[in-house]
Amino acid sequence: MTDHDHDHDHTRTVAPMVDEVTDFEVLEIALRELCIEKGIFTAGDHRRFTEFAERIGPTPGAHLVARAWLDPEFKKLALAEPMAASREVGVDWLEPTGFGTPSDFTAFHILEDTPTLHHVIVCALCSCYPRPILGNSPEWYRTPNYRRRMVRWPRQVLAEFGLYLPEDVAIRVEDSNQKHRFMVLPLRPEGTDGWDEDQLAEIITRDCLVGVALPKVGVTSNAIVDTRPAIHPVQH
Amino acid sequence: MSTSENFPIDRVQIAPLDEIVERHQVWSRMAAKYGVQNPVPPWKSSLDGICDALDQGGCGPDILSMPDRRREEDLLSATVYSDLPHPENQLVSLAHSLVVRGVIDETELQQRLASVRARLEVWPSTPAAT
Repeated sequence: MTDHDHDHDHTRTVAPMVDEVTDFEVLEIALRELCIEKGIFTAGDHRRFTEFAERIGPTPGAHLVARAWLDPEFKKLALAEPMAASREVGVDWLEPTGFGTPSDFTAFHILEDTPTLHHVIVCALCSCYPRPILGNSPEWYRTPNYRRRMVRWPRQVLAEFGLYLPEDVAIRVEDSNQKHRFMVLPLRPEGTDGWDEDQLAEIITRDCLVGVALPKVGVTSNAIVDTRPAIHPVQH
Repeated sequence: MSTSENFPIDRVQIAPLDEIVERHQVWSRMAAKYGVQNPVPPWKSSLDGICDALDQGGCGPDILSMPDRRREEDLLSATVYSDLPHPENQLVSLAHSLVVRGVIDETELQQRLASVRARLEVWPSTPAAT
């Protein structure tokens, strides 16, 4: 039997792949190997952290919010003891990687939106982000444009994400740091009566949990995936 | 060790990295060339693993702390590597920071790039035994 003597259609089952070795692929391997050889970190450390990066995503955060919308007692827990509420959706902030990360303790806070107050998170210094419960930060969250402009012109920056808030809704920008990470608990939108946790979680996107979007029936993906030019660019 | 606050790291030119920038094999271009749908390159998770391992494992934080790494990434991404998108600019900036600190020698990096590429470009003429 030859390699292709079987009855499935490769044109439909095999996704295309980049069929050449690229410089960036080579550089990543070279850096990793040199760091390991120099004893800066071990191959085991790297493998575990890479697996952690592959595993995390915004699903636990979405389910935490959905459950809080459905269960008033759980919402009380989420606001009063966010670390305990996180455990209910599978995230242990005391050991987020699950393999004994030797990091300092990080406090986690959940910010509840109201009809007159909207929260949005940022890290003005670098890119601190609640990774265990939201996954890796999006590219735009890391940019100086977002970080520095959000704290100065939040209403305008939110508008660039397509979120236009009425003037009577105050905006509170919460600045993350090495010790404190935040996530937004948005308002439950109209049109979701009778929905279960899984249905609600689908419309609670990463952007809603950061605060640059509001949950909306029919919207299950993030509006912006790439960075784009700023109206007030940061001057270097 | 802090470098960027008192040393103009963006004035340092690192030949192997400049060559990589020049060839511009960024993911968006390569993915389009081969019709690949993945929004991020396959090495992105491993780069995240390197950054986390540096930040939290072994002696990484003593060599390049997370605040320094991110500050230098911001600076270099806006200057020397402004033609690169993310995460290519993150990867090249990290290499730049390590070379500037002397953690990795420029010649050593050049040689390792060549040896890694040679290893990856070996295409077996016969299928490996299973």
